[in-house]
Amino acid sequence: MAKTILFVEDSASVRQVMKTALAREGYEVVLAVDGQDALTKLNGQKIHLIISDVNMPNMDGITFVKEAKKLPAYKFTPIIMLTTETQALKMAEGKAAGVKAWIVKPFQPPQLMAAVAQLVMA
Amino acid sequence: MANEQQNNRIVIEGELTIYTVTELKDKFLGGLLTNDELELDLSEVSEIDGAGLQLLVMSKQSAIALKKTLLITGHSPVVAELLDLSGLSGFFGDPLLMAHQSKLEGKSL
Amino acid sequence: MSPDIPDEYLQTFVIECRELLEQMEDALLIIERDPENPEIINAIFRAAHTIKGTAGLFGIDYMVEFTHVAESVLDRVRSREVMISSALSALFIEVHDHLGTLVNHVEEGTLPTEEVDARSKRLIAQLTQYLDTPITHEAVPSSDIAIVVKPKMNPVQGDVVKTDYWHISLRFGLEVFRNGMDPFSFVRYLSSIGQVVQLVTIIDAIPPADEMDPESCYLGFEISFNSDADKITIENIFNFVHDDCVIRILPPHSKISEYERLILELPEQEMRLGEMLVKCGSLTPTELERILRIQAEQADEEDAPLLIGDVLLQQKVVSPPVIEAALEKQKHIKETKKAEANLIRVDADKLDDLINLVGELIIAGAGINLIATREKMADLFQSTATLSRLVEEVRDSALALRMVQIGGTFNRFQRVVRDVSKELGKDVDLVITGAETELDKTVVEKIGDPLTHLVRNSMDHGIEPAEVRLARGKPVKGTLQLSAYHDAGSIVIEVSDDGGGLNKARILSKAIERGLVAEGANLTDKEIYNLIFEAGFSTADTVSNLSGRGVGMDVVRRNITALRGTVDLDSVEGQGSTVRIRLPLTLAIIDGFMVGVGNATYVMPLDIVVECIELKAWASNEGDEQYINLRGEVLPYRRLRDHFGIKGETVARENVVVIRYGEHKAGLVVDKLMGEFQTVIKSPGKLFESGKGIGGFTILGSGEVALILDVPGLMGLIEHERT
Repeated sequence: MAKTILFVEDSASVRQVMKTALAREGYEVVLAVDGQDALTKLNGQKIHLIISDVNMPNMDGITFVKEAKKLPAYKFTPIIMLTTETQALKMAEGKAAGVKAWIVKPFQPPQLMAAVAQLVMA
Repeated sequence: MANEQQNNRIVIEGELTIYTVTELKDKFLGGLLTNDELELDLSEVSEIDGAGLQLLVMSKQSAIALKKTLLITGHSPVVAELLDLSGLSGFFGDPLLMAHQSKLEGKSL
Repeated sequence: MSPDIPDEYLQTFVIECRELLEQMEDALLIIERDPENPEIINAIFRAAHTIKGTAGLFGIDYMVEFTHVAESVLDRVRSREVMISSALSALFIEVHDHLGTLVNHVEEGTLPTEEVDARSKRLIAQLTQYLDTPITHEAVPSSDIAIVVKPKMNPVQGDVVKTDYWHISLRFGLEVFRNGMDPFSFVRYLSSIGQVVQLVTIIDAIPPADEMDPESCYLGFEISFNSDADKITIENIFNFVHDDCVIRILPPHSKISEYERLILELPEQEMRLGEMLVKCGSLTPTELERILRIQAEQADEEDAPLLIGDVLLQQKVVSPPVIEAALEKQKHIKETKKAEANLIRVDADKLDDLINLVGELIIAGAGINLIATREKMADLFQSTATLSRLVEEVRDSALALRMVQIGGTFNRFQRVVRDVSKELGKDVDLVITGAETELDKTVVEKIGDPLTHLVRNSMDHGIEPAEVRLARGKPVKGTLQLSAYHDAGSIVIEVSDDGGGLNKARILSKAIERGLVAEGANLTDKEIYNLIFEAGFSTADTVSNLSGRGVGMDVVRRNITALRGTVDLDSVEGQGSTVRIRLPLTLAIIDGFMVGVGNATYVMPLDIVVECIELKAWASNEGDEQYINLRGEVLPYRRLRDHFGIKGETVARENVVVIRYGEHKAGLVVDKLMGEFQTVIKSPGKLFESGKGIGGFTILGSGEVALILDVPGLMGLIEHERT
């Protein structure tokens, strides 16, 4: 059974590239364009890992994580947040919300792939 | 989820993970209290994680403390893989019986 | 560039960058007037941030390097360590422009030229002045580096253990499961960079049933690991849990003293732990024995082991007020973001396809309707009526999808006005109203150029130099206004200025001089003003850099006419001028005027029709049958019957539709006048490429096809024949 990853990112090109890269590793990928969209994807389907950008329109990543953690079916889903080294405050806030894994932008696909594999093997 | 229980046998279907351990803990302990010998059938487990394995360890330890017998039978592929990885097969001491006809398209976790 | 990234992704990236740069520019232009606005600062930051992040993903290093510095400065602006000054906003406008250049390189797949590189360096140097400490331009490390507590060195113990393998000790924190982590996934990952030779799962910490919280993690591992990877690589695997886990990594052939410390630091009882290390193969029984002996000897000494708890506490410390402030800020951001438009991006071609399909649907519906009528099936007729009403609604909604707000176009003029102000040394404010007014995307795309010309023209010729304004008792700062509103099925766009207005006398004398009007002609004010739209007219006394480019107001009018729009001008001398452009809401629907020739039906845009007359009443019987004398005006005409080669008898009463297109008037002779008709234009496709003057077609309610005349094309043909 392939592991399913929800990838939340407002940049269409990042979504495209990472979906291809993750699918190549054997993951199922569900895409969302922002936090609001992502919440609609948490509809009961099994999600093994959430990767989310922090800075997004409509609903940012931190708010999304807080909402996701309220859902019984997703409260223990591991989360990787994509951020910049400049967002120290965001990281503090994210950590408080239960995010333990951070990838600093800009990153190359292999970096994220490694992080994903550390949490969920394909 | 455990949805079949006949006296001394609990069949766990689906996830044996962080999402189900709280519920399963009560089920397992309840089973141990009412039976001298309890069998956990794991042949229908589709997913198991560290929390699930930890619960099995705790149940085994409880059985030992209560001087009762806990048997784990019918390891689904994911259960077998994790037992192997953890090196805990010996601790449980059960013969590793692969579920011969698992409905699950089990691959490694 | 990463070789495995397909081109089309790169194209998406280019489009994305352009959009972000546009947002950045809009924000930069506002920031000059509103330097404290956190929303605006954040918008600029976000654009830079996203560009950098995505460029990094694509491995476009030159862009990452450049944007990184810009982003760092913006971050300091965000945190109010640096204030926006006019110098800084000017610098960022340069940064913005330069990013545009870099995006062009990405699109073309070329590396920046030396010149571009030099500009990057210069801008980086300028930006760096706003940072306290110069930053390195390398991409930053990918994630937190695990802070591994370095064992304090004991008095040198020369002996090393025999094993060739790494030894990894892990004790996971209680929250690990709840944080979504599974200790075993790290073990699996280890297998991908080496071989897990032996693993012992530590279950000693699992409490008895009644005290055990099944969601808490009590697990640990002792691992013997064979790998060529370096220590950092191995440490990095545990980045995500290093906050609340005990992690000890001993390289192959570590000193016995280091194992000794390890045993001291781990929570389990020494003997028990020692056994597990032996079980792992990391220590031989002899080595363990030596360690235990040394420990016994040192038991008295006060050399307290490192307090792991303290270290971890330090790592975890985040003071509550910081979090509270962050939450407060978050709430604020969330509220304002709600207001942002909720948009999805759709390929314009898809919309066109949809509209075409709806067109087909209308035709199909008309077909059914015909059958129903023919067969006198009342029930069917009724349902088709309902159906066609619905289809028309669908068509209207589909057309509405193409509508976009004009604000995006207007905002671009912030930049134009700013640049031209500097160029001309005039201080001009741009005021925008009606930015939310919607019109067809195609129209929006084409209106930019004419508007630019009008705006430049107003600033150049309309708004007076400061000293003149002062002398006239006006505010030194000129005002240029762009506004848009809907009016009777059209959109009206106005460009107005509070400048000197047009000088009627000068326009008239110039027009007479150029032979555009006859001397002594009796013209209204409006007619005089609108003379400036005539070809080859220029009122500027001196040809400035701006207006000396050979593009006159006549081109503006031509462009707008091509959009089936009109333009006119109002002016009050000494107070300013207003240019008013009236455009159809969409190019996909026209108000048509329908005529019949033989069995064929033709549609022409209603707004070009001047009048309809009877041919016989005006045509002279002699001559070459090419002109009529319309109230003293020589009017060329053309029979559509001849033009399209339609056979059959000429009707007794032929009508002339007098049309006006731009400067030209002509007559089209038709059999029947059929009245006004609103219609959806369908593209003519390959069928009519012969250039016979057909611009498209539409489907009539009867299901018949009507051809839409390509009036500019037709006019061209008529003009051509005249000469």
